[in-house]
Amino acid sequence: MITCLGDMFFPEVGVAMVKLLRRLGVTVEFPEGQTCCGMPLFNSGYHHDAALVAQRTVGLFAGAEHVVVPSGSCAWMVKTEYPGLLKEDPTLKAAAEALAKKTYELSQFLVDILGVTSVESSFKGKVAYHDSCHLLRGLGESRAPRTLLRGVKGCELVELPGSDECCGFGGSFAVRLPEVSTAVLDKKLANAEGTGADCLVACDAGCLMQMGGGLTRRGSRVRAVHLAQILAPSDHA
Amino acid sequence: MSDASLRTPFPQRAHAALEDAHLQEALGIATTKFIGLRKESFAGFPEGEALRDRARAIKEGTLQQLDRHLERLADNIERLGGHVHWAATGEEARDIVLRLCRDKGVRMAVKSKSMATEEIELNEALEAAGVKPVETDLGEYIIQLAHEKPSHIIAPAIHKTKGQVADLFSKELGGRFEADPEVLTAVARKELRQKFLDADMGITGANFAVAETGTIVLVTNEGNGRMVTSLPRIHVAVMGMEKVIPTMTDLMVFLAILARSATGQKLSSYTTLVRGPRQAGETEGPEELHLILMDNGRTRQIAGTLREALYCLRCGACLNVCPVYRQIGGHAYGYTYPGPIGILLTAMLKGAASVKDLAHASSLCGACKDVCPVRIDIPRMLVDLREQLDREKIAPWAERMVFRLARRTMTSPALFRLGASLGRVAQRPFVRNSRLRRLPFFLGKWTRTRDLPPVASRTFSECWKDLERP
Amino acid sequence: MTSRAEFLGSIRREMARTRGLFEARPVPRPADAGQAAEVVRHQMLERWPQALERFREEFERVAGVFHRVANIGEVPGVIRRIAQERQAQSVLSWDPEALGLDLRQSLGQEGLAVTVAPDRDPDVATRAMHRDAAARAEIGVTGVDWALAETGTLVLVSGRGRPRSTSLLPATHVAVFGHDRLVESLEQVGVMLEALHADPARGMSGAVINFITGPSRTADIELTLTRGVHGPKDVHAIFVETR
Repeated sequence: MITCLGDMFFPEVGVAMVKLLRRLGVTVEFPEGQTCCGMPLFNSGYHHDAALVAQRTVGLFAGAEHVVVPSGSCAWMVKTEYPGLLKEDPTLKAAAEALAKKTYELSQFLVDILGVTSVESSFKGKVAYHDSCHLLRGLGESRAPRTLLRGVKGCELVELPGSDECCGFGGSFAVRLPEVSTAVLDKKLANAEGTGADCLVACDAGCLMQMGGGLTRRGSRVRAVHLAQILAPSDHA
Repeated sequence: MSDASLRTPFPQRAHAALEDAHLQEALGIATTKFIGLRKESFAGFPEGEALRDRARAIKEGTLQQLDRHLERLADNIERLGGHVHWAATGEEARDIVLRLCRDKGVRMAVKSKSMATEEIELNEALEAAGVKPVETDLGEYIIQLAHEKPSHIIAPAIHKTKGQVADLFSKELGGRFEADPEVLTAVARKELRQKFLDADMGITGANFAVAETGTIVLVTNEGNGRMVTSLPRIHVAVMGMEKVIPTMTDLMVFLAILARSATGQKLSSYTTLVRGPRQAGETEGPEELHLILMDNGRTRQIAGTLREALYCLRCGACLNVCPVYRQIGGHAYGYTYPGPIGILLTAMLKGAASVKDLAHASSLCGACKDVCPVRIDIPRMLVDLREQLDREKIAPWAERMVFRLARRTMTSPALFRLGASLGRVAQRPFVRNSRLRRLPFFLGKWTRTRDLPPVASRTFSECWKDLERP
Repeated sequence: MTSRAEFLGSIRREMARTRGLFEARPVPRPADAGQAAEVVRHQMLERWPQALERFREEFERVAGVFHRVANIGEVPGVIRRIAQERQAQSVLSWDPEALGLDLRQSLGQEGLAVTVAPDRDPDVATRAMHRDAAARAEIGVTGVDWALAETGTLVLVSGRGRPRSTSLLPATHVAVFGHDRLVESLEQVGVMLEALHADPARGMSGAVINFITGPSRTADIELTLTRGVHGPKDVHAIFVETR
């Protein structure tokens, strides 16, 4: 599952993820016609609309064995909220539950399903890891990404102070309350720059848009990068 | 403060808070400390997780027999010589207090900190009726002098730096006091000591009320809660009816986690169990005890979407970790209860329309749910509130149309692809160094402070053809 | 004005709408309170030395000052030293029978003014006199009903001869207890409280039970901790070995 932000704004993350999975022996398919998991609709309270999107998504991935998502929030949406959204129709609800069971955020898939802890990667540099809220608190995952980062030989992982604090994205929150969103972001970026890291790594496109947007605006030498790009850097890393 | 400040829209109030350097300094100091204290306390307390589960189960179980527990509580209090009053609304609760003051010739009342009395704006009503309310909790004393409302559920004055407090005391009390918390605390101790001894009435809230024994429980640190319930001849406690719990055994579960969640202490300095007025053999204690059980919108939530919010222990932990509260403080919320739980409580007390902006004052990060001692799922209820705002058409029409359009795009791959193509075209004049730095309309709200990545020249779906060949 | 029936009626109406919606969660009833309390007392007969160690640790952690004496006769000496340190001249004490010690004789000769609580049901004049004494006293001496080791807490039950203000108004609070008062956990305190309330021939003649964990404190200004806001600035616990 590529996700809407991934498809439109960060195709390189999807490409890195596909290359990485293939290198690990996984057959990767991409059901065409993907759009969005519907989380922006759900979070803003448009549940009837979100259910329609959920219904479509469930159908799209019906034939998959595993569904891998390079985004903690989208994986969370599918795993936690889809069954509830489709509870009125027993068939759809069952399909949603089945999809929820076989959907994984990328780092969880690598570590828990493939049993991979160390990936060969040409990446060299110091990284700080940001715990995206929905991956950390929604899916209870903080170890898999760190395990994978530590498993890259040329990669030095430093702890980010306040790594578990929100980056300020929150979907529409970022434009509903832009000043507060930016104030929260500034704190995060000050922490990131204080670590001396080359890259600020996250597993969520929304966080990366927010943090990356702030970093380039302030001309920082720190780059916001997706975990997949550390594990499978492209030639133009 | 409430009405005046509510006339400015919430984003403006938030803006003012972000621009307030003193507030930013104070908030940074206080919330960071609170977070550290709580973390440390639970780190050394492995039993804590199981106790939180038990506490939540007790709250849910109590709600399922709420009427029986309240009856038991009332019977016990009356048997001990106390009085129980039933207030369906905040206004009624106020009127009961005023009537007691009139009937008993009360001219001055000392108050221990009580958010329930803030909720019903009791102080203003007392003053209008010629009764002098004296706040004795240091934080409440400070804001009473400053004519402000509390900005945090347990530390009412944390929005003030010590310099501001010193200036306030110097101005209101006459004298020159240095910006040293020890000095300022000593000033308050001296000013208030005689008031405890002279007051006609003591007014408190209640952290819990134990149904089985008829006990009102006050969790405090300063000692004013004890003074206020022992020295004046009348004690009045105002309590939301959801604070009742079944037994003493249950009380211990809550005591084990409440102070840790609030301030990182194992127990607060004083936990006071009050069981009726002064008994026959006692030298001290009030002649009369009155418990005012208050509904004020709570009952409606027993079968409502905000039911879980009735578990709240008013510890303030969710405020301390909330990225929004940490940036704007309590006053910007505009209502009695700020922070994540405050948004829910405001909706409970004043209806969903009152939080049409506040319901979105959250990035749904979940930090609040993480630290709540009774594991209230605040983010879920915020989303439910947003759903209600859409369903009841309180959310603005334009917004609802935008989201309808978004859904259309998300359920039609052709529209989605078209959207990407249109975006690529529309963004051309705005791309600088492969970033979007200034965009019009509501997107400008993003680009004022952050860059945006442009829509990729080829979306992933478009790249897939090349990737299909392994 | 809303009546009890109306208030509860609206609650019942709402509760009826939730029937079957929530998993039934009956709150478990505590076992026979009196028996459970006996079990605790039995356990503590063996475990009190460990509990005392833990109590001392936790009590000092909350800024309490711990003393240990061999017998009750040594207690006035400790109080005298405390009075000297604090430059205090007036002492307020529980009724000697409740305290197990009459400080008027032992301390009175040292130039310390000692007032004790009335032991009978006091009249208005007696109450007023006691209140004045309490407002002026610089040291308050009480016994202890339970000393809770887990948190360094003193649990005091009010009643005849044991006024509430003795541990509240004076700037220094001194609490005297023996090993029979020690309990280890909050849970055990809960057991003892259940038994106390369940016993119809209760010795609890007062309306208030206070859990006292260290001196009075606040952090309302910039979260900087200060002590002695309205209640005592110092709390002392004197453990008496043979009691």
